[in-house]
Amino acid sequence: MNSFWNGKRRFVALLMFLGGVFVALRVPPVIPFIQLPGEKFPEGYNIPFLDIRWTNTMVGSVIVWIVLLLFVVYVVRRRPKDGNEAPPGGFYNMFEMLFEGLMGFVGGIAGGRHFRLIFNMFMTIFLVVLLANWMELVPGVDTIGFIHPHVKEKYDVEKDEYKVITTDGYEIYQGFLGISYVNGQCDWISPADEATADEAALVAAAAAAKAAEMDMNQDAAYARYQAEHGDHGEGDEAAGDGHGDDSRGDATESVNAVSVAREGPLADRMAEKQARRDRGCYTGVNPVPWLEDDHSDDDHADDGEHTDKKHGIPLHPDPSSEEAKLVPWVVLPFVRVPSTDLNMTLSIALIAFVMIQYIGFKALGIGYLTKFFNFSTLFKSPLGGIDVAVGLLELIGDFAKILSFSFRLLGNIFAGSILLFVMSFLVPILPWPFFILEFFVGVIQALVFALLTAIFMNLATVSHHHDDEHDHAEAH
Amino acid sequence: MDPQSTIILGKAIGAGLAMIGAAGGGIGIGLAVGGAVQAMGRNPDHTPTIQTNMILGVAFAEAVAIYALVVSLIILFVLS
Repeated sequence: MNSFWNGKRRFVALLMFLGGVFVALRVPPVIPFIQLPGEKFPEGYNIPFLDIRWTNTMVGSVIVWIVLLLFVVYVVRRRPKDGNEAPPGGFYNMFEMLFEGLMGFVGGIAGGRHFRLIFNMFMTIFLVVLLANWMELVPGVDTIGFIHPHVKEKYDVEKDEYKVITTDGYEIYQGFLGISYVNGQCDWISPADEATADEAALVAAAAAAKAAEMDMNQDAAYARYQAEHGDHGEGDEAAGDGHGDDSRGDATESVNAVSVAREGPLADRMAEKQARRDRGCYTGVNPVPWLEDDHSDDDHADDGEHTDKKHGIPLHPDPSSEEAKLVPWVVLPFVRVPSTDLNMTLSIALIAFVMIQYIGFKALGIGYLTKFFNFSTLFKSPLGGIDVAVGLLELIGDFAKILSFSFRLLGNIFAGSILLFVMSFLVPILPWPFFILEFFVGVIQALVFALLTAIFMNLATVSHHHDDEHDHAEAH
Repeated sequence: MDPQSTIILGKAIGAGLAMIGAAGGGIGIGLAVGGAVQAMGRNPDHTPTIQTNMILGVAFAEAVAIYALVVSLIILFVLS
């Protein structure tokens, strides 16, 4: 087996590279829709026995736990029964190496009476966070998922209604072995905007034609200028005046209604729509009824179960249908890196915080509280007030640990996964250096999280009183 | 300029300004690692202790930069 592959692996790598080139050309990559909270799955994908919908980061953390449990089962079953047995090699040996290395590492920092508890916490947090971080390196995570209609809506305070605004979605395409994918080539323009633009073009064309019929050269030219430039919004005043003078200057040639209609704003508009249609993008004149609803009669009461209650957008339309081209789409990944969700990092940070306080009480009893509320020296020494202030600062600092723990991990991994998105989008074939970078970032962040927990736990076991100094020395 | 562009402009400028905070983290990490490498060069026997303390210091210094990053990410992706 091994000899067969010698010298041939490079060709396999070349083939995969060429395949990557082909896929990148055939299916242009898009930047996934970037969202900080975990994306909710569509309706109907509830967590068993609970009325909560899955989020994709939750799926990721469930996978992490399953992998970790399989790992534990494997290691426990593979462990030599007695010391005389020859040590097994391979994967198990790698685990032993990791275990022994980290045991020595933590032993140097927090060796002592509470080493066992501290090391258990260290190793658990390390493995969970490491697996969670490394999930962003797995192909398919963050990229394969539901193709989900996406409409951003905004509450209009003045009119007291929800308004559909521009979206970040993409046009959907059917193709490539029957797999649907979304494409970033089309700028999705909401049907309402389309209709507005059409109407503006019509009005402008009518105005131009009317002005031309009046057969007053100056007015016609001015109206034509207005018709051509009126739908671009308020233009620059100075430039407009200059252009207007030019138009009046050469307005001697006769302008008739036919030429205005042929070359005027309506023709431009039609040409623009045709160009977009040629690219395979959707164009249409306000075919979507939900945009005209004023949402006054939507009380979340009825409608079919497969439609968005507010807009009647079909939630799972056939991607190849004409209907599907009416809504912008985003990919809603099945699995997202769990460390990019604040819920995951915050919960581990809370566990770490609770364990730090627990080990403090376990080691020092109720006296642990004097670390925070230190009134013993208040009346004894002239600088006793400082001790009180220091204790209060310690209390604040302990709660700040939760924040710093959770945001450090979230920020690093979320930024890392955005880096991978963007690099895969810009350089679809060769984002490997960034994957190597993220590999190391994942290890370092897991190590920092676990190490800080171990160090703070060790600090909590050490009393700050001077008469306990020998205890501290003994621990080392 | 229409309101949508104004919002995007404000978001982009705000996110960029928030990331100035990362400079402090960078300086801090540079100082910490520089000092640690010098110390390791002088007495290699103490490398494990120095390394641990270095990683700790780097993590604290980095945290500040990460706060800046989180603020700018929130400006970009959460505010609407």
